[in-house]
Amino acid sequence: MSFEPRIIGFLCNWCSYTGADLAGTARMKYPPNMTSIRVMCSGRIDPGFILSSFRKGADGVLVCGCHPGDCHYVEGNYKCLRRMLLTRQLIKDFGIDPVRLRLEWVSASEGARFQEVITEFTEQIRSLGPLKLGGLVPEVERTAVHT
Amino acid sequence: MAQVHVNIDGHDIVMEEGAYVLEGARSLGIRIPTLCHYPYMTPYAACRICAVEARDGKGWTKIVTACNYPVWDGLEIHTGTPRVMNARRVNLEMLMSRSAPVPVLQQLADELGIEKPRWGTGDDTCILCGLCVRVCDEVVGAHALAFSDRGIFRKVATPFGGQSDDCILCGACAKVCPTGHIALDDINQRQVVHRDISLAPNSAISLPFRQAVPNVPRIEPEHCIHFNTGGCKVCSQVCPKDCIQYDDTEQIEEIEVGAVILATGFDSFDPSVMKQYGYGRYPNVVTAEQFEMMNNAAGPTGGRILLENGEEPRAIGIVHCVGSRDQNHHKYCSRVCCMYAFKFSHLVKEKTKAEVYQFYIDIRSYGKGYEEFYQRILDEDVNIIRGRGAEVVPASYRRTEEGQLLVRCEDTLIGKFREVPVDMVILCTALEARADAKEVARKFNISTGADGWFIEAHPKLGPVSTTTDGVYLAGACQSPKDIPDTVSQGGAAASHVLKLLCLGEILLDAAFAEIREENCSGCRICNGLCPYNAIDFIAEKKVSKVNAAMCKACGTCVAACPTGAIVGKHFTDEQIYAQIEGILT
Amino acid sequence: MSDMRFTSAADVDEYRRKLIRQRNDDKTIIALCAGTGCLACGCEAVSEAFREALAGSNLEREVELKRTGCHGFCERGPLAVIQPQGVFYQKLKPADAKLIVEQTIKGGQLVKRLLYRDPQTKETIVHEKDIPFYKKQMRLIFGKNGFMDPTAINDYIALGGYSAVVKALRMKPEDIIKEITLSGLRGRGGGGYPTGRKWASCRKAKGTPKYIICNADEGDPGAFMDRSLLEGNPHSVVEGMIIGAYAIGCSEGFVYVRNEYPLAVKNLVHAIKTARECGLLGQNILGTGFNFDIDISRGGGAFVCGESTALMASLEGKTGEPRAKYIHTVEAGLWDKPSCLNNVETWANVPIIIEMNATKYAEIGTSGSKGTKVFALTGKVNNTGLVEVPMGITLREILYDIGGGVRGKKRFKAVQTGGPSGGTLIVETGERGIHDSMVAHGDLREDEEAVNLLDLPVDFDELTKDGSMMVSGGMIVMDEDSCMVDVARYFLTFLKEESCGKCLPCREGIRRMLEILTRISDGEGAMEDLAELEEMSQVLIDTSLCQLGGSAPNPILSTIRYFRQEYKAHILDKRCPAGVCKALVSHAITEKCTGCRSCAKPCPTAAIIGESKGLHHIIQEKCIQCGACYQICKHDAIVRVKRGDGDAVQARAAGLWKGKPKAEPVAVA
Repeated sequence: MSFEPRIIGFLCNWCSYTGADLAGTARMKYPPNMTSIRVMCSGRIDPGFILSSFRKGADGVLVCGCHPGDCHYVEGNYKCLRRMLLTRQLIKDFGIDPVRLRLEWVSASEGARFQEVITEFTEQIRSLGPLKLGGLVPEVERTAVHT
Repeated sequence: MAQVHVNIDGHDIVMEEGAYVLEGARSLGIRIPTLCHYPYMTPYAACRICAVEARDGKGWTKIVTACNYPVWDGLEIHTGTPRVMNARRVNLEMLMSRSAPVPVLQQLADELGIEKPRWGTGDDTCILCGLCVRVCDEVVGAHALAFSDRGIFRKVATPFGGQSDDCILCGACAKVCPTGHIALDDINQRQVVHRDISLAPNSAISLPFRQAVPNVPRIEPEHCIHFNTGGCKVCSQVCPKDCIQYDDTEQIEEIEVGAVILATGFDSFDPSVMKQYGYGRYPNVVTAEQFEMMNNAAGPTGGRILLENGEEPRAIGIVHCVGSRDQNHHKYCSRVCCMYAFKFSHLVKEKTKAEVYQFYIDIRSYGKGYEEFYQRILDEDVNIIRGRGAEVVPASYRRTEEGQLLVRCEDTLIGKFREVPVDMVILCTALEARADAKEVARKFNISTGADGWFIEAHPKLGPVSTTTDGVYLAGACQSPKDIPDTVSQGGAAASHVLKLLCLGEILLDAAFAEIREENCSGCRICNGLCPYNAIDFIAEKKVSKVNAAMCKACGTCVAACPTGAIVGKHFTDEQIYAQIEGILT
Repeated sequence: MSDMRFTSAADVDEYRRKLIRQRNDDKTIIALCAGTGCLACGCEAVSEAFREALAGSNLEREVELKRTGCHGFCERGPLAVIQPQGVFYQKLKPADAKLIVEQTIKGGQLVKRLLYRDPQTKETIVHEKDIPFYKKQMRLIFGKNGFMDPTAINDYIALGGYSAVVKALRMKPEDIIKEITLSGLRGRGGGGYPTGRKWASCRKAKGTPKYIICNADEGDPGAFMDRSLLEGNPHSVVEGMIIGAYAIGCSEGFVYVRNEYPLAVKNLVHAIKTARECGLLGQNILGTGFNFDIDISRGGGAFVCGESTALMASLEGKTGEPRAKYIHTVEAGLWDKPSCLNNVETWANVPIIIEMNATKYAEIGTSGSKGTKVFALTGKVNNTGLVEVPMGITLREILYDIGGGVRGKKRFKAVQTGGPSGGTLIVETGERGIHDSMVAHGDLREDEEAVNLLDLPVDFDELTKDGSMMVSGGMIVMDEDSCMVDVARYFLTFLKEESCGKCLPCREGIRRMLEILTRISDGEGAMEDLAELEEMSQVLIDTSLCQLGGSAPNPILSTIRYFRQEYKAHILDKRCPAGVCKALVSHAITEKCTGCRSCAKPCPTAAIIGESKGLHHIIQEKCIQCGACYQICKHDAIVRVKRGDGDAVQARAAGLWKGKPKAEPVAVA
């Protein structure tokens, strides 16, 4: 059986999630490897989520937000952009190929683009093969308050 | 100005010093005939018909012209002495000797008792009163007319006697001409400059639309003579209430509102990019919008369907889907064109004897009564040709006498290539999103689709609302729509707004961020991050606090909080971690 | 010269003293008139010949050849005056230059042939000042012309020029106006409005800036006073304007001059330029803080632009058309600002008044009219040219003493003054026909004697009293060969061309009146036409917008007034007494013919036949009455007779002709 990558997608509620919705209602086909997690804004995405995803066995993480300037919350996507650049540095240090973390801008009307991004990213991860961590990524420390 | 006492034909009158005799006489109801005098213009005193006798009561006497003689204290004016009457008569007879027997002179001749002018009559309909020159100069400010030559050869002329670009075709000269010497022949002939027909109002002063609020006329600076030349101002002179304000400018007012309905409409596709249809190149290729204006009884042709040369067309071609359903332009169907094209056919049939040819891809006549109208059009002997209009070429290309233009297409029903001779082509141009739609969308924090139409919150569940609370859509800014659909959507948007207003309060989303005071270090990182300024720092407690009513739940602060003190409700870290875990195990 | 710049009044006086010191009073100067009249007669070639002659004799250093402005005696041009002796040579040809240099300058001998010979006394006159033409003149304004090169400011300053400016700038503006008022100077353009009063109201008028304007749009046929002044002494006008500007309180002046006066424009431009370079125009004139400059505006030559409001419209760049003057131009003139307009001659009088002071100036002339007046004497008079005479002189003196009387043996008929606009006729009222006409016109009772305008002093008020006008100064003398209907027609034709056409009476009235006059001179008139002419004339006078139309009927009214019998002859007898109106005249050759054949040559239709030394004959059918033969015949053999009588006269001549005329001239019908 061939390798089927497991991909986590963090989609912002207003653009990318709606775009995914559009792709769906438009019956566009794309690989089923990505599972999406809806957040209100790409600015909500804590780097911890990404580290956690890799640690838990994701082969790739896709972060989608609104196009620059189009953020529903004015500039959440810019904050996301800054964090993702840093996170990519960080995962490199952990020995994870930074291409496994991808940031894409997909707007609500870009169902076709969403389809394209997913297909292409899935193929890319597939060609990279499974992520072998060997326990290098530490468990994100949960603060006590979250109990 | 000082007040002076003047006596006109035995009547005492108090006037302002420097005012003209004519004003005084007219206010007393004393008639002094004039030919070159007109209100709103400075007196010219060229016709000398308004001659009166001025006296000072001490023996001094002089013939003066009433229209421009300034009054002074003690002035006596006699308007009917034999010397005055003789001067008027001889002058009028001399004028008649050059002029054609125009009514204005005939009337005056009757008034002065001239039965047969001594030196006969001439044939010039211009009496050289100069009203046209002055109205163009002083009032309109276009300076497109002047007197040329001198003495008996004097005449009114345009620069170099030709058509002048200075002329703004306002028609003021023709309006003031007392003899009809200036006719708007030329302007009438050029009345239908098809490519200049637009939806803009014909008059510079108009109501923006019937139900405008406030319901008062406004000046369109683009068409107003005053704003173009600095002259005119006739409206302010005739307005009895002094309502005209020229220095009123556009003002930006900030109004606080709780909800906004976007109803910014659509733009019409510019067909000149589709070179094959020759729009802008052949004078009789017009857009649907221009044809609509031509049909308007208050439009440039008075509702008549005319070619640019002023003749009635013998055949008209209507090309559907110009810019719509086209891979190169807009893929979507503009929805309204088929039906208005039928309406055009009907109007043409009603007003002219022209043949009508419709070139269509598919007829889309859904909706109540639409299909029946289509049938009626078919019964009216309109030629419906299935085949997209491929090209419009001048008829000279085929040396045919039948029409001025040829519409070429492939008639897919008979499977033949056809060239249809017509005199006029109407292009059913696509509806497209406003050029500034993206900008507007950004302002209201909503999205536009690939074609530029505003995106509704949900195509089925929220076709009126948008992703921004309190912003609603109505009409063709959302997608091409006909009038009934637009009215429905407008009503729906209004009721959404009313719902908000009637409630008096807003139901907030349950999702918002919250700071656990005990975990907050008071670092204030979150304060600056919040795009809505919803986080305040409470100095005495040295902690930050989220104002739940202002928070939109984006979660940026949640992700940024170094101590994890902020909880994004419904999107808590735990929930997301759980989702990750759930997905990956 | 260009390095010279006056920064104070003292500088000017100092410079003048220096010029006078340097001047050698014994130096021989050939003052060659280079006015337009002399230029037209070939002065350019004469000037060149003088230059060559002087060069040939190596006299260039010792003798100065000075091209001066107009000397006035245009009849005798080209002319030159050898200074300091004042020898007057006239009608020079290029070849004469060498002769003069050789004989007069080198040899101290007179060239008799070139001296002026009085046509009446046959006396030869050597000096310019002794010539009768100059004797009765008083050349206040034109006096400097003969002594200076108009393009040399040094000449002007040396002759006392710009001393008036120096004096005026030390006075208070009000005092200057008082001085002008006291001098009694009145506008020389025609109206005779007191200049001082005009200046005072302009100074008082509200509104800034104010403008002064020099009207140099001299348009009357035959008048060239202003032209000669601008050509010959432009600085005097500039100086007058500087003083006027200072007195009125304005800093911008305009000279409106017609472009048909190229030399005037050239000299004036040069004068203004040099005055500016010298600091006499521009900013801070002579260190007084007073600023003034002059612009020249060149008119297209429309006659109506001599009218002040039309002139101002033209200056503003608009069509030169007049407007109503119910509000005076001193209050709202150029660009609706207070504007003071005076003509060239008036401005030129200003420095003279300031220099000689008002009381002294006021001694010249009569009680109401002071100073001198320049006339352009033209027409059928012996001495044509420019004459400057003191006010109070009679027209008879101008005509006979200065002008030398009517040319040839013809009889004086009338003198027309002031050109077509405002022009009137001045006649010998004592003559029978004129007396009858005036009686018929209602001017006189049968037994009354009219005041003869010829004997009245030239004076604004005196002439106006008797229905004439002083007017601008054109003076056209007419003899018995002038037909008065034709004269009226000539002026009306001119005015028809020049009417701007703005107001109805002028535009249409002149045309209709001209039609009637043409009808009369074609022998198709009726006596009612005269009444109609008079009625229309009154309407034109009453209702015309400006004086062009208002005075257009004057030629008609004054010819009808004095020469009603001539109109009657045209209308009733179908006869033109002066033989001018072609439709009413026939030419015929009498027995006085010598057979010289000189008349046959100019005949354009070859209508004259005859053997050499035989009696000539005009073929009546071919004759077009052009009058060429009449003008050329030295034997008075050609006569003008009533239309159709030509052959009868010639038949009788054939009977009387005896080869060579011996008999007394036969009277013709």
